[in-house]
Amino acid sequence: MLPCSWGLWRSAIHTLKTFSRASPSARGLCIPTRAVCDAETIFALSSGHGRCGVAVVRVSGPASSMVLRNMAGLTQALPPPRTALLRRITDPQSKELLDRGLVLWFKGPHSFTGEDSAEFHIHGGPAVITAVLQALGSLEGVRPAEAGEFTRRAFHAGKLGLTEVEGLGDLIHAETEAQRRQALRQMDGELGRLYQDWSYRLKRCLAHVEAFIDFSEDELIEDGVLNQVDSSVRQLETEIERHLKDERRGERLRTGVQVVIAGATNAGKSSLLNTLCQRPAAIVSPIAGTTRDIVETSLDIGGFPVLLSDTAGLRDSSDSVEREGVRRARQRVEQADLTLVVVDSTQLPPDPQLVAAFLQEHLSTVLPSPEAGMTAASDRVLLVLNKSDLVPEEQRERTEGELRERPGLPPACFLSCSTSTGLEDFLTVLQSRVKTLCGDPLSGAPSLTQARHRAHLQQSVQALNQYHQYRDQDLALAAEGVRLALTHLGRITGRVGAEEILDIIFRDFCIGK
Amino acid sequence: MLAQKLHLLRHNVLSFVSSRTGSDLTRRQYDVIVVGGGHAGTEAAAAAARLGAETLLITQKIMTIGALSCNPSLGGVGKGQLVREVDALDGLCGRAGDSAGVHFSILNRSKGPAVWGPRAQLDRERYRQFIQSELLSTPRLTVLEGSVDELLVSQPNPEEPGHHRVTGIRLGNLPQTSHNKLGEFWPIPPDRAGVTESVDGSHPILSSSVVLTTGTFLSGSLFMGQTTSPGGRMGDAQSCAGLSYTLKETLGLRVGRLRTGTPPRIVKESVDLSLAQLQAPDKQPTPFSFLNTHTRCKPEEQLPCYLTHTTPGVERVVRESVHLNCHIQQDAKGPRYCPSIESRVLRFPGRRHQVWLEPEGLTSDLLYPQGLSMTMPPELQLRLLREIPALHRAEIRTPGYGVQYDFVCPTQLTPSLQVKSTQGLFLAGQINGTTGYEEAAAQGLWAGVNAGRTALSLPPMALSRTQSYIGVLIDDLVGRGVTEPYRMFTSRAEFRTYLRPDNADLRLTPRGFEEVGCVTLRRYKKAVSVRDGLQEALMALQSVALSSTRWREKLGNISLSENKSTTLNGLDLLQYKDVSFEMLASAFPECLSQYFEYSQRLKIEAVYRPHCEKQSREMERIRSEESLSLPSDMDYLSLPVSLSQEVREILDRVRPNTLGAATRLPGMTPAGIIHLLNYVLRTGQRNRHTEHRNRSSQKEGEKGQLCASNIPISQ
Repeated sequence: MLPCSWGLWRSAIHTLKTFSRASPSARGLCIPTRAVCDAETIFALSSGHGRCGVAVVRVSGPASSMVLRNMAGLTQALPPPRTALLRRITDPQSKELLDRGLVLWFKGPHSFTGEDSAEFHIHGGPAVITAVLQALGSLEGVRPAEAGEFTRRAFHAGKLGLTEVEGLGDLIHAETEAQRRQALRQMDGELGRLYQDWSYRLKRCLAHVEAFIDFSEDELIEDGVLNQVDSSVRQLETEIERHLKDERRGERLRTGVQVVIAGATNAGKSSLLNTLCQRPAAIVSPIAGTTRDIVETSLDIGGFPVLLSDTAGLRDSSDSVEREGVRRARQRVEQADLTLVVVDSTQLPPDPQLVAAFLQEHLSTVLPSPEAGMTAASDRVLLVLNKSDLVPEEQRERTEGELRERPGLPPACFLSCSTSTGLEDFLTVLQSRVKTLCGDPLSGAPSLTQARHRAHLQQSVQALNQYHQYRDQDLALAAEGVRLALTHLGRITGRVGAEEILDIIFRDFCIGK
Repeated sequence: MLAQKLHLLRHNVLSFVSSRTGSDLTRRQYDVIVVGGGHAGTEAAAAAARLGAETLLITQKIMTIGALSCNPSLGGVGKGQLVREVDALDGLCGRAGDSAGVHFSILNRSKGPAVWGPRAQLDRERYRQFIQSELLSTPRLTVLEGSVDELLVSQPNPEEPGHHRVTGIRLGNLPQTSHNKLGEFWPIPPDRAGVTESVDGSHPILSSSVVLTTGTFLSGSLFMGQTTSPGGRMGDAQSCAGLSYTLKETLGLRVGRLRTGTPPRIVKESVDLSLAQLQAPDKQPTPFSFLNTHTRCKPEEQLPCYLTHTTPGVERVVRESVHLNCHIQQDAKGPRYCPSIESRVLRFPGRRHQVWLEPEGLTSDLLYPQGLSMTMPPELQLRLLREIPALHRAEIRTPGYGVQYDFVCPTQLTPSLQVKSTQGLFLAGQINGTTGYEEAAAQGLWAGVNAGRTALSLPPMALSRTQSYIGVLIDDLVGRGVTEPYRMFTSRAEFRTYLRPDNADLRLTPRGFEEVGCVTLRRYKKAVSVRDGLQEALMALQSVALSSTRWREKLGNISLSENKSTTLNGLDLLQYKDVSFEMLASAFPECLSQYFEYSQRLKIEAVYRPHCEKQSREMERIRSEESLSLPSDMDYLSLPVSLSQEVREILDRVRPNTLGAATRLPGMTPAGIIHLLNYVLRTGQRNRHTEHRNRSSQKEGEKGQLCASNIPISQ
């Protein structure tokens, strides 16, 4: 399970609040007082990336005015609502200058979300954006927005029209998908292994504390279980804190829209890569392949950064090296923002009426299962019917007619990599896709995912402090600290349920009675 | 009939119906029938009767009502919380424990009051007597000795395939005697008219609600050594094959198989207790029940427990006897936390395992060896016991044995514990895959409440997992199902620091009276007065505010982390480890000393309150999820919303009760949840109030509903 789905699931439910009846028990003593709705303040990059001069970062929630004061040096009054003001934007902790840009203040309810909001219009470079997002995440009570959260808050505040409410599900779908892909990329590597390792160790800590609470009275729980937890927690705290301080040593972030070329062997995938690279529209700067089977190239398509990957041909193979290549290819397709499925046109059925069904079938073998959120109808797939020069003109035209606006199938382009016929049309389609994707602030913006991760790691460390604070006074409250820390880490690595903790307890201890 | 019953509900519970008329005694129709007289059955019957339903409890043997089939103890960590909650809802087991307890202790005393585990060793006789006399004095409750042969359900409606409605039960063998609330035995005239003719001469009794609490008796088999015999408990008649058939074949319910076991009972005199370690009870017993200030057993009358350990010899006997032991060779899943000594030894070889020697009662000459559940042949059981030094001369009174039994996969139930596909059929206890008296009692109570409510035409109710361990238990069962016998642990509760044993009355009693109807007026009044008293006391604490310097002067040398100038009120101060309410009361006697009786509860409240407040938002979220119910007959396969086929199939198979349950389903996508949510909100009001099968009219109404349901959004 992926973190984003958890986050979404959690926040999606917030919209329900208004519909639930007031809890009958929410009165009287000892019932926690009902917190103000959405007490947390959230932020997100709300402009696209690519070659843009200005990036817009939005903040929404009760702490928005505090954010504005802290980051824009507004010690006195706030600016008049909805008026742009040119300010120096600084890091609230280090007071380091991050950028000069416009700030705007929106007093609730006169804002997109109905809450107090602020906007920062800053320079569009990735370094500036990352710095501002990280500075925001370091403020107390402020965290990166989950997918669709701004929209949901607007929905909550009655700021959305009926049609927008209808579209909410699709919007959230799109955003979670983007976040999921982003997280997949981020988790795929050294950093991912690091987080998984922390999660594993924290789970064990929690399991041991829970075992001590639930079983130590009846069972032989080895002496010193809690002492072990003490030192493990301390070790984890140190490691996470060190990681948070060491900002430059992060992994190389792959920026740009991730476009993956996939398909059967000999369909002409590599030719497509070369063709795309040779066109004047595409400026090539090759990066040494990270793996021997996937060739990655940075391109600039219509002014937008694209990371193009060529993958191994998909087929069942007995060769273990090739099998690994195919596995990686499939993994890459799952992480892609856009997949170009290349098909050899000479393999299409001669009867144009059968082509749609054939392609449908073919796509299902290339694309990951529908649970991964990718379907043939998805706007994240383009079909490239290569080697069109080898198909009779008349058959091609009839097939094109047949495939035009066929529901359930992505757009298909006939193309010949060897003669370049059809290339212009294909590039037009590709460019518009890339442009749309770049307009989505989530795709290809690893800094945002990174900011989310930082925020959760920080909260995780804070929660671990609670463990030490209560360790000797009240073990239930101390355990709460570990539970909370794991919840935060779980938003990066996947949610952890009570059953999983019990599994560890029963594996590690001989529990009876 | 149902309308007539309504006036009896709730407030009249205490007004005892003095006696029955002759025609009542021959009743062939009840509001609620409860099958089984164990922990679930007795709580269910008592709860339904408290609610105002005319209730019949059917058990194979009246004398085994309230019997403790296995361990002679109640409560513990997690389980003690359940007992407190059952008591807060006016159930029986808490008071029964106070009456029967012979060794009281609060487990986890050093680990924080949220995880304290009230526990007691019980006198088996006293427990049984208390439950039996309690049931006999419960108005509207009749007890009948007999065996249920068949569950009567109405013919499935051709338009609703798979849907049934309970109409009653059919008794098997003709009962010789039955027992009413006044303690008289009375015969059932075999030829009563007025109900459906029974073809085979057996006895139908009609009812719109039936609670099945058959424990291990559903296709139960007993195992000892290499012998197997049908049954659910040694010494009792074997069980209801007919019932099993109805559940599986007629109703098409999915069942699974589980196993459990019990240790041999040892003659006390034969044990060398000097070789075991004495475990003393608490000096001052703490009652389970909120109604009791002391227990029946006086502090000095309490009996001790003894602790001893297994030896390598025990492991040897287990290994040598594996081939003679059918039970452990079976596939059925046993509990991981209550394993037999065989599975412990095989799973964790080379270790020393604890064995508790527990008293069985004040007058009993037996000891119960907790931790030595076993199913090997009796002669080997004896050999095994004697490998333990304290038991080297031990004599066995009754050998240990294993039980395997069917359970109904609880995901087929609603949060009111009713079978989804069968109106009026409720299940509680081991039949739902749980283990333990407390888990059974908790479900029994809630099933009884809802059976009573259904019979009285009141809507069913659910308990939230944010409000009680009972809610956690039921939500886990119906939402996730079980793969092994389910036992309660505090680690299962997300809001453990709020679901504490000390505040169960405040969490549940007022609601139990005002909304549910299962709490008597006496208990309600008491809980309300406690609530008001605590509220006042908290306000009084908050009203005394001093700077931390002044506090130090007043209370002597206490360590406060705050700055000298910070102002702290009494409640803030009470959070500190070394500050007690008594200290504060002696500093401010005029406004605090009147609240001495609450001193412990106030201290606990002060420590946990800030934390609970932090969690309140999360609790609110879960409550909202739970409050959005999904109609049980929703046609997911053709729902006019954008859901993938996979998600549709998952929803169709599991049929989650609430949106909350839907979000926890593996394979469910966030977008799917949003689409479902939008759909439910749009059609929600309609679905709640009208027949939602009528699809065509529903579609016409969608636009209007959308506008209507949008109004609360903009509040």
